[in-house]
Amino acid sequence: MMNDRLRAFSGQIIAIGVALLLGAIIILMVGESPVRVLMTLLRGAFGDQEKIAGTLLQTTPILICGVAACIGLRGGMFNVGIEGQLFLGGFAAAWVGFSFSLPPGIHTLAALALAIAAGAAWVAIPAYFRARYNTNEVVSTILSNYIAVLLTSYFTIFLFKRPGGWSETPPILATAYLPEIFSFSRLNWGLAIGLLLAVGVALVFRYTSWGYGVTMVGSAPKFAEYGGVNVKRQGFVVLLLSGAVGGLAGGVETLGVHHRFMEGFAPGFGFDGLIAALLANGSPVATIVTALFFGALRSGSLLLEVDTSASREIITVIQALIILSVSAQVLIKRRGDSQAGERRWKF
Amino acid sequence: MSNAPGSPPLHSTSAMAVELAAITKRFGAFIANDGIDLVVRRGEIHAIIGENGAGKTTLMNILFGLLQPDEGSIRLNGETTVVADPAAAIKAGLGMVHQHFKLVPSLSVADNVFLGMEIRRHGLIDHAAQIERTRDLSKRFGLHVDPTERVGLLSVGIEQRIEILKVLVRGARTIILDEPTAVLTPQESRELFQTLRSFVAEGMTVIFISHHLEEVMEVSDTVTVLRNGRKVATRPTSELSKDELVRMMVGREVSFDRRPRAALHGGAVLEVKDLWARDDRRLPAVRGASFTVRAGEVVGIAGVAGNGQTELAEVLSGLRPASHGEAWLKGRDLTMLSPAAIREAGLAHVPGDRMVRGVDRNASIAANTLMGRQHRAPWSRGGVLDWKAIAGNAGALIKSFDIRAQGSGDPVKRLSGGNIQKVVLAREFTNGADFLLIDQPTRGVDIGAQEAIHDEIMRQRAAGRAILLISVQLDELAALADRILVMFNGRIMGEVAGDDADEDRIGMMMAGVSPELEPA
Repeated sequence: MMNDRLRAFSGQIIAIGVALLLGAIIILMVGESPVRVLMTLLRGAFGDQEKIAGTLLQTTPILICGVAACIGLRGGMFNVGIEGQLFLGGFAAAWVGFSFSLPPGIHTLAALALAIAAGAAWVAIPAYFRARYNTNEVVSTILSNYIAVLLTSYFTIFLFKRPGGWSETPPILATAYLPEIFSFSRLNWGLAIGLLLAVGVALVFRYTSWGYGVTMVGSAPKFAEYGGVNVKRQGFVVLLLSGAVGGLAGGVETLGVHHRFMEGFAPGFGFDGLIAALLANGSPVATIVTALFFGALRSGSLLLEVDTSASREIITVIQALIILSVSAQVLIKRRGDSQAGERRWKF
Repeated sequence: MSNAPGSPPLHSTSAMAVELAAITKRFGAFIANDGIDLVVRRGEIHAIIGENGAGKTTLMNILFGLLQPDEGSIRLNGETTVVADPAAAIKAGLGMVHQHFKLVPSLSVADNVFLGMEIRRHGLIDHAAQIERTRDLSKRFGLHVDPTERVGLLSVGIEQRIEILKVLVRGARTIILDEPTAVLTPQESRELFQTLRSFVAEGMTVIFISHHLEEVMEVSDTVTVLRNGRKVATRPTSELSKDELVRMMVGREVSFDRRPRAALHGGAVLEVKDLWARDDRRLPAVRGASFTVRAGEVVGIAGVAGNGQTELAEVLSGLRPASHGEAWLKGRDLTMLSPAAIREAGLAHVPGDRMVRGVDRNASIAANTLMGRQHRAPWSRGGVLDWKAIAGNAGALIKSFDIRAQGSGDPVKRLSGGNIQKVVLAREFTNGADFLLIDQPTRGVDIGAQEAIHDEIMRQRAAGRAILLISVQLDELAALADRILVMFNGRIMGEVAGDDADEDRIGMMMAGVSPELEPA
């Protein structure tokens, strides 16, 4: 059993190794020492308790988005629209936060609930077309990202702009805050939500009848159909849940970190989450590790420009290399699989 | 473009287009082609007929250089040739139209035809010339294709013609078609045959793979019959009758003895009344089937593969909608129910394509035995799975069905074909259903496992289950079935008692000859 698991992740480890090697070569080409860049990254990400908290702060939205992606992948659905669901969820939470006055705790829960609903509602459109007309969900969810990002910008600038401020909404009331864990960092209980969610989702997939059916829809759809699982309905449900968690990620980011919604408030977390989930082979628990990896890259990069001659963009390059090598690895694996007459993930 | 169609053949010395001698091809322990000799004369339409798995496609893939034979030699136009790859085959004047087309949907017909060998002018693609050449060829062979149309907008039938054009443009003088009519409507098939005749009229040679008797009789000059990897015979089509052909395809070898049985008279469990269904091309595949299966009875369905058996099984299991008719299982009409509801009503199903429908190859044996009962106690309580109970049950099934595996945690893909089938049987035969729908239970399964599977089916009969057994193996049906229904072209042609399974009568009906029309 352990061997199988190791084998399942060996491809991922090789993919990261190849990406880091290529990244090192690029760093050499811009005239910097890869070792120095690596040490700076490590110091920036884990150097002291504030830096660790900063890394965990970056990890939180990536983790929740990663879990959202895992839910989709498990049921054979590629939700590439998490970024958009995150933005809508973030805006929805902010709106509840600044428009209503509710007791503490209840205010937070109400804001998170609307964030979840907003994410689910946003993915419901592509999910419906997927179930009804077999529209490719990859394309429709990607496109829905642009609409979501621009729609929230419109809300922010034209409908709810804080007078005199930047392109941002009024601040939310303190009753809606997600409380911070430490005094020295903005790190908040959103991280706990992410961890609980990852473990909870993993348990649901492993230990419930519903999770079994969904897993079979993802890995062997014709077998699931034969066994009486409603493949179309479960595909719809899975996308809806994935979108709901994507919306939750936005709510957590708004209530825990920014305390308002602003344009471009959480760029790329949705995509980082998807990559983290792919890197984790669709396992929510393994996504904790991969999300931490991406969170560390993000927070470590803050020190790069201060301490080395490498630009912070080198991190984006390394991330892109990881995406390339992971997708190459997924494609290679899929080619091997499809020769045996099956497809794990479909585009 | 020196050897364009219509120009004289490159090597016109030999009257034989293709000579294969003693071709043998093994895949592991499985012998796909066993010492096959095949001679195809220039200018004939040569049909290669046989059931699924008879070795037709393997043989053609060897001829076209996609596979290398383990033994044997190939002569093309009288010259011994090593066909190392398809490029070598094309160079020698061969062309192959595969079952699955390889076209670029966003490009025009002409661009697809010339893909990889574009006509160039001043270094640019000469679209006008490509369109012109495509139009000429299309006209000459009656293909009726508009070279400017985008491929993505065209039907499958037209796509096939484009594949044929591709082969022609590459200078093929001998054209191999792998089950070309499988994707065509009857009208399109007739047009294809016209085109094939126009090829031989121009001195070209056609090799045509099929398992449909009718079309082989209609279009071919010569037939070669393959069975279980061996050549049965090569004969001029005019000397053959349909039922002779069926007998050669299906064979007379009997590997199973008839199972002894007690006469059981149970009530009707499944009643099918005038059932109709369409296939994936939207053509009627099941046409008015009516029959009854009683408790404690094995009803066999015989027929050459592709005569509606698959679609019938899919309708009865809820995987395909019926277009008309009823199928009552213990008082409920299956045609109105979802697959889950049909299982609830009392169906167990051993599917014909077990690797895709029957199992998740990557999942464990335990997870595979759970399918269909994941909402039922004791495996699930309040929606929560009890993996201990599931694994315990899987372990017991491994023992009682003699599944050769290390444990219930083994992924199914590590098992042999016979043991995978036993996993399917173990799951389906223990779910308490009264009606067992069993499709090709022993296809691709070794002899030892075949016997074990037959034992199990007979045990289920003795336990009073109603069993519908679909098989293309006559000896299997003769060994197990109480009654055999013969399906041809979507219809039930007639019924034969299992202990009096007269192969000649069954063969006639499988060939589409109705028993009522014969003098008794």
